[in-house]
Amino acid sequence: MFSGRMSTKEQKERIELLQGTLDLLILRTLLLGPTHGHAIAKAIQFKSDDVLQVEQGSLYPALHRLIKRRWISVEEGTSENNRRAKFYRLTAKGRRQLELETSKWDTLAGAITRILRPAE
Amino acid sequence: MRRRKRMLESLDWEIRDYIEMETQDNIERGMSPEEARYAALRKFGNVARVKEETREVWSVIWLEQLVQDARYAARMLRKSPGFTVVAVLTLALGIGATTAIFSVVQAVILEPLPYPRPDRLVMLLERVRLRNYQNDLNDPSPGNFADWRAQNSVFEDVAAIQDRSFNLTGNGEPLRVEGEAVSASLFSLLQVPMALGRTFTFDEDVSGGPRVVVMGYGLWVSRFGADPQVLHKSVLLDGVSYQVIGIMDRSFRFPDPANFHGAAQTDQLWVPIALSRADLSNHGSHFLQGALARLKPEATLSQARLQMDAIAQRLIHEHPGTNEGVGVNVVPLREQLVGNVKSELCILLGAVALVLLMVCANVANLWLVRASTRGRELALRIALGAPRMRILRQLFTESLLLALLGGGAGMLVASWGLRALQGARALQTLGPSGVPSVGTLGVGLPVLAFTLAVSLLAGLIFGMAPAWQVVRCNVQRGLKEGARESDSPSRLGLRDVMVVAEIALGVIVVVGAALLLRSFVLLQQTPLGFDPRGLLTLRAIPRSTQYSQPWQRSSFYRQALAKIEAVPGVKSAGAVSFLPLTFFQASKGFSVEGQPALTADELPMAAYDLVSPGYFETLGVPVLQGRDFSWSDTQQTLPVIVVNEAMAQKYWPNEDPVGQRIKEGRADAAMPWLTVIGVVGNFRHFDVASPPRPTMFFPISQLAAGTALLRDWVVRTSGNPLAIAAGVRQAVWSLDKDMPISRVQAMEEVRSSSVAKQQFTLLLLGLFAGLAVALASVGLYGVTAYATALRTREIGIRMALGAQRRQVMRLVLFHGAALGFAGVSVGIVAALLLTRLMSALLYGVRATDPLAFGAVAVLLSLVILVACYIPARRAMHTDPMVALRYE
Repeated sequence: MFSGRMSTKEQKERIELLQGTLDLLILRTLLLGPTHGHAIAKAIQFKSDDVLQVEQGSLYPALHRLIKRRWISVEEGTSENNRRAKFYRLTAKGRRQLELETSKWDTLAGAITRILRPAE
Repeated sequence: MRRRKRMLESLDWEIRDYIEMETQDNIERGMSPEEARYAALRKFGNVARVKEETREVWSVIWLEQLVQDARYAARMLRKSPGFTVVAVLTLALGIGATTAIFSVVQAVILEPLPYPRPDRLVMLLERVRLRNYQNDLNDPSPGNFADWRAQNSVFEDVAAIQDRSFNLTGNGEPLRVEGEAVSASLFSLLQVPMALGRTFTFDEDVSGGPRVVVMGYGLWVSRFGADPQVLHKSVLLDGVSYQVIGIMDRSFRFPDPANFHGAAQTDQLWVPIALSRADLSNHGSHFLQGALARLKPEATLSQARLQMDAIAQRLIHEHPGTNEGVGVNVVPLREQLVGNVKSELCILLGAVALVLLMVCANVANLWLVRASTRGRELALRIALGAPRMRILRQLFTESLLLALLGGGAGMLVASWGLRALQGARALQTLGPSGVPSVGTLGVGLPVLAFTLAVSLLAGLIFGMAPAWQVVRCNVQRGLKEGARESDSPSRLGLRDVMVVAEIALGVIVVVGAALLLRSFVLLQQTPLGFDPRGLLTLRAIPRSTQYSQPWQRSSFYRQALAKIEAVPGVKSAGAVSFLPLTFFQASKGFSVEGQPALTADELPMAAYDLVSPGYFETLGVPVLQGRDFSWSDTQQTLPVIVVNEAMAQKYWPNEDPVGQRIKEGRADAAMPWLTVIGVVGNFRHFDVASPPRPTMFFPISQLAAGTALLRDWVVRTSGNPLAIAAGVRQAVWSLDKDMPISRVQAMEEVRSSSVAKQQFTLLLLGLFAGLAVALASVGLYGVTAYATALRTREIGIRMALGAQRRQVMRLVLFHGAALGFAGVSVGIVAALLLTRLMSALLYGVRATDPLAFGAVAVLLSLVILVACYIPARRAMHTDPMVALRYE
């Protein structure tokens, strides 16, 4: 198991994000409705004000990992420009997982913040 | 699985679409179509790798890759057949030797004893700690056995064992058969199956009980043609009729340390020991070979030891005269049975493991040479995005495949080697010390598992070297055209370190062999104190009813010796209780007249033998003072005794020993004083290695006890001793046609049997040492030759600039020799630390013997110089023009 790799715009150095973070972001993106791979990558980039860029090579392994765990499902459909495309959809199981992971993330982020900025 | 297939099928077009969408986006951002596509591709990254990683999510990837790697490895090995053949052969030698030794270890040490729950079986022996006599494995007295049995609560039962041999007569030639007299409980303790009939009952194991016998499978087949009717018959043992009541199973082996591992099971007859009331209260005469016991399920060995110690303490108080200093030694049966070969086997296994490590080093070096030519391939693959882990795994697959091939070939080498060992003379002339039989050796499941494990381990070890290269691999340098290792000739490479280690390991093995060789030569040169040449030995024990009276036996000895001496070619003949060099020597406490009275604990002890007149003369032992026994020393004349020089010097250092008097046991015991009438020279008795002890010789013609027997006969001839064997046999049979004659052999043969174990160990270790020297020299040669090849250009430049050929040669020679001597030095130091482990196997030399170490250092230095000289000579004849163009 490896983590999704992302890089920030400013810093080309690869930052190993916490394991499963990319998975979490994908699940969150799919909460808005089923969509295809390219749209997911774009959405993450856009929503993070271009801070996070999905290293696209890690997107597909992540998607397949989620399918394997049955957190998302896949169906064929037609994209905006009328082409055959694969649409990924959050499953009920994935939705529960997202809630769980989100609250975990909040706890973790809060804890780290408290340590890093104890005075505030 | 179907889901996986569906998912992966569409991955290709999905990625293509993705890149197209990205391209479209880029065009919308204002890039030219070409630029846009390029940017999209760059952003996406390595498509093949993404696919690979995605596929990995779904697959049992390691299995797929394993198959893939194995195929690739097989292809690589096929592509360089020279390397593969050399590596596999080297591995086969190392793994084969290791497997062969392990199968012996397995059969002797690891294989469970052939009895149910064998770890619960123990042997009880006496641990004697007297001031003048210490023995941890002393034969128990029947009285002690009876008390141990009655007073303990930790054993299910205890059974007494007494070595016996029988003259089996009727149906054909008289036959001497080994066996034991045992308690009725022995067979139920061992829990072994019968082929036919039953074993003794407790009612039969009483003094004066019925004469019944249980027979071994082998004897039943060879003597009675496996006739089941034998159960209803009786056989004549020592002239007495015994009812046959049972035949042991074919697989049965009596737990007798003397021949448990021997090729043939010699113990074939068992009778009830039927200890009498007098025996059961006899604590002074130690004639049992041991007492077998089985621990109760809830008892532990340490509990048993504690309780037996307490019982022994109690017995010392109850029988101070006989039990002073006598404890109990509770020995696990396995230890008792393998004790005498364990250290040899451990040393051999250690040596063979070192050889195997050398093999690994050699193969690793071969591999490195090959890997350096593959350096660019690896660098290229890393540059193309292959993860290093993946390459490592693939390299290890290759190493393991090679190791398994070597292991397979090693099995062949091992089975061939074991067959060769079976044929070896050293194994056929096994002494009673019992070098393990290889008759029972085979390549079973445990050995197979061992070989597999050793092969894989070897693969991992020698695979380490190329793996290390991958870890260190500098991609940019590796990709540079023409980049070679010669770029950094000064660095002490992995190869150099390994060849030093290899030579060091070799030195250890060779030093071990040299020490054993020194020991063996010293052992062979040890003066025995008698002359084994032209001496025939045989065993004939008068035991039937016609010899029940001492005078009957005495008269038989006298007449038989006279008949033997009348055989043409015979110079003289004699008989003795136990032949020298057969690992047997009894001891007795005694008192010297005129010395203050001593307690049992303080009595001096001396070895003893019973002899016939003429024994010393026949053996070639000089009578230094006084006279030998004669047949006119009888029970009616003055009781006399002969002592050896060691005894005379120890007890009468400043007096004439002849005429002094001694007595068996304490001075106030009701025994007659024995007058010393002669002093004979010292000679080796128990074995060749043990120095002579003070020894007493009693004349058979004066002994009345029923146990006073002469067993072994010696006959001196001027020629080949075996040539007169038939005549001697006939001479004995002319007196008693039912006298079985066994162990007919030349004394020289007895002597070489007595050192067969040492010879066997030396032979094997010598073989390994030879292998070690070969491996070390090949290894060093390989490294030097390769290093020289890498430096061809440098050498060419040096020569072009005016270097002399001699200087070039010295350059190469120095490099190799430096490695070699570093290896020898490290090896000598390691050997100094390690050889003390084998000091138990050495005779006459210390584990740090300077001669052995020096000889090995010189020998290996010569080998090193030769191994370096060949490539150095080649370098010397390098043509600078060719060398400069060399690529």
